[in-house]
Amino acid sequence: MSRSFHARQISFGTLTLAAMLFASPALLGRAATAETVRTTQVSAAAPVHSTRDSQIVVDETGRRVAVPADVRRIVSLAPNLTETIYALGAESRLAGDTDYCDVPAEARSKPHVGSPTSPSLEAIVGLKPDLVLASTSINRRETVDALEHLGVAVYATDPHTIDGLLAGIEHLAGILGIAQQGHELVTGLQARLAAIQTALAGQPHCRVLFVVWDDPLISIGPHTFIADALRRAGAESVVETTQDWPHVSLESIVHSQPDYLIFAGDHGDEIPQLSDLRARPVWRDLSAVKQGNIALMSGEVDRPSPGLIDAIESLAKQLHSSAFANSAGSAR
Amino acid sequence: MMQPMTPRRIIGVCAILASALFVAMVVSLRLGAYPMSVTSVVTTLYHGAIGQMDRIPSDFRLVIFGIRLPRIAMGIVVGASLAVAGAGFQSLLRNPLADPYVLGVSTGAALGAIISLIVAPHVPLAMQIAAFAGATATIAAVYFLGRRGGQLDSATLLLAGIISASFLSAVIMFLMTTLSGRDLRGMAFWLMGDLATPPQISISFLFVVMIAAVGAIYTTASDLNLILTGEQEARHLGVNVARVKIVVYISASLLTGLAVSVSGAIGYVGLLVPHVMRMMFGSDYRVLIPSSAFGGAIAIVLADTLARTVVAPTELPVGAMTAIVGAPVFIYLLRRRVR
Repeated sequence: MSRSFHARQISFGTLTLAAMLFASPALLGRAATAETVRTTQVSAAAPVHSTRDSQIVVDETGRRVAVPADVRRIVSLAPNLTETIYALGAESRLAGDTDYCDVPAEARSKPHVGSPTSPSLEAIVGLKPDLVLASTSINRRETVDALEHLGVAVYATDPHTIDGLLAGIEHLAGILGIAQQGHELVTGLQARLAAIQTALAGQPHCRVLFVVWDDPLISIGPHTFIADALRRAGAESVVETTQDWPHVSLESIVHSQPDYLIFAGDHGDEIPQLSDLRARPVWRDLSAVKQGNIALMSGEVDRPSPGLIDAIESLAKQLHSSAFANSAGSAR
Repeated sequence: MMQPMTPRRIIGVCAILASALFVAMVVSLRLGAYPMSVTSVVTTLYHGAIGQMDRIPSDFRLVIFGIRLPRIAMGIVVGASLAVAGAGFQSLLRNPLADPYVLGVSTGAALGAIISLIVAPHVPLAMQIAAFAGATATIAAVYFLGRRGGQLDSATLLLAGIISASFLSAVIMFLMTTLSGRDLRGMAFWLMGDLATPPQISISFLFVVMIAAVGAIYTTASDLNLILTGEQEARHLGVNVARVKIVVYISASLLTGLAVSVSGAIGYVGLLVPHVMRMMFGSDYRVLIPSSAFGGAIAIVLADTLARTVVAPTELPVGAMTAIVGAPVFIYLLRRRVR
């Protein structure tokens, strides 16, 4: 798949297999391994103390960060945060991002500091950032600790729900001194979410299998932002687990027989086509495959960013086309 | 085969290798994602050495003193530890293919460290002690499994190591699957052998422990030479074989635990460096131990420089670099022995 070259570069030995298995969601840029215990109240991100030069804020992972009052140079270590910066119209202040930052397309031309999971510390330092943005959805805690050790201000987000994501965007905007833009962006997104809710009122939830990875089958747990995105789109995952990125046995899917299979990805990714699934043992016998109930979401669903709302809208329309056919006039 | 070993020769070999290590350090200091000229590296070091930190541009200060030098220092500790541990295990098990990684000792140390992260996160030294305990327990198990008819059998020993390693990594996988949490991602890199993360404890402390353990093995060097010709003969010559074995066993396990707790499981350094040093300077342990320490340090510093630069700005785990070079050489040595 598109990012598997990372796996290949480090491929050796039994340990590697183990490592790859666990790192695979992270390397795919799809992971948001959650420390569910530490769901910090986003309201805690409000400035606690401020001086003329810097403000002490508490980020979404509970770390206290001294952020310059005037953030001029930002380095983003996560594609979703890069996208958020663009959505806030603050891209002129984005001094650098990662190799994976491809939305919007202009983000590709920013200086890169490496991959989100193993960026070069000196490349980051070399960009002289006032603030580095990281996300628990893709970055490693060790990277954040190492930067902190070097005296670089790192603000980390920890999105688990859509509400948390939106509140986080608004707070980040406040820290960057563009509270107004943040408020407008979030209000707009909330209105679109409300429109979906209105359209879906009275619709039964669709039982779905969200496929993070098809071989081996990896799905999502209930505490991920993807699970929340699915709920917003009128869907419920059939996978019952306490893990965030569970390896799921195919027979449990045969047992639960979801109404829809949902694949996520962009044109660059190899998403299995219906014809592929109809040729695969076991998969071809799932009722969703027999009925052709396959939904595609844009790769945006993997990223807790404003684009996630687009992915929710598109999924809701695929799963509940009748609801949108009826209320097309009123919702839009 | 054994050359006359004088203190002068030992010091000479060390001086040569120390110079080579210095060159490796300079190369490593010069290269990286942040472009720096030799001149700026030298002036940064000079101002740093004479205590005029404020005359250095802050970027240079961070890159050289904050990032590259600590990483080089970690590489030296890890490389020297692994190579001397390898030389120690090779003598202890009378098997030139013994190495912390091949014998599963690194994996045992990794398992110990992971258990400590689950049971006692944030407890100072817990990880180091647990890694040491894991290393000691694994080498004891491998030693026990590797005996056939009361004798250490070379092939059985290596198989016992490989089996232990795969068993222990299965346990690690099991723990990581059951305990789904944020630490997994870092752990996956750490299992590959990675120097990107600065250790939680001071590097000078690691240096002191490393030098003490290497020193302990060095005190047994003359005895190890005699044991090499045969345990019976050594006993007749008055060597306390059991004591020597215990010193080497504890120190080599300590060195493995130390290296693994800093960098995760880095393979092949402990195997290949002592081999190369034997080829270059002979198999007398009085020169093999210090030369392996320097050689291991050079190997890791260079491997990590490659890991930092080949796909810069993205970084590879240093364990990937040592395995890419180490695995083919290991196979070569294995085949040469079989023939």
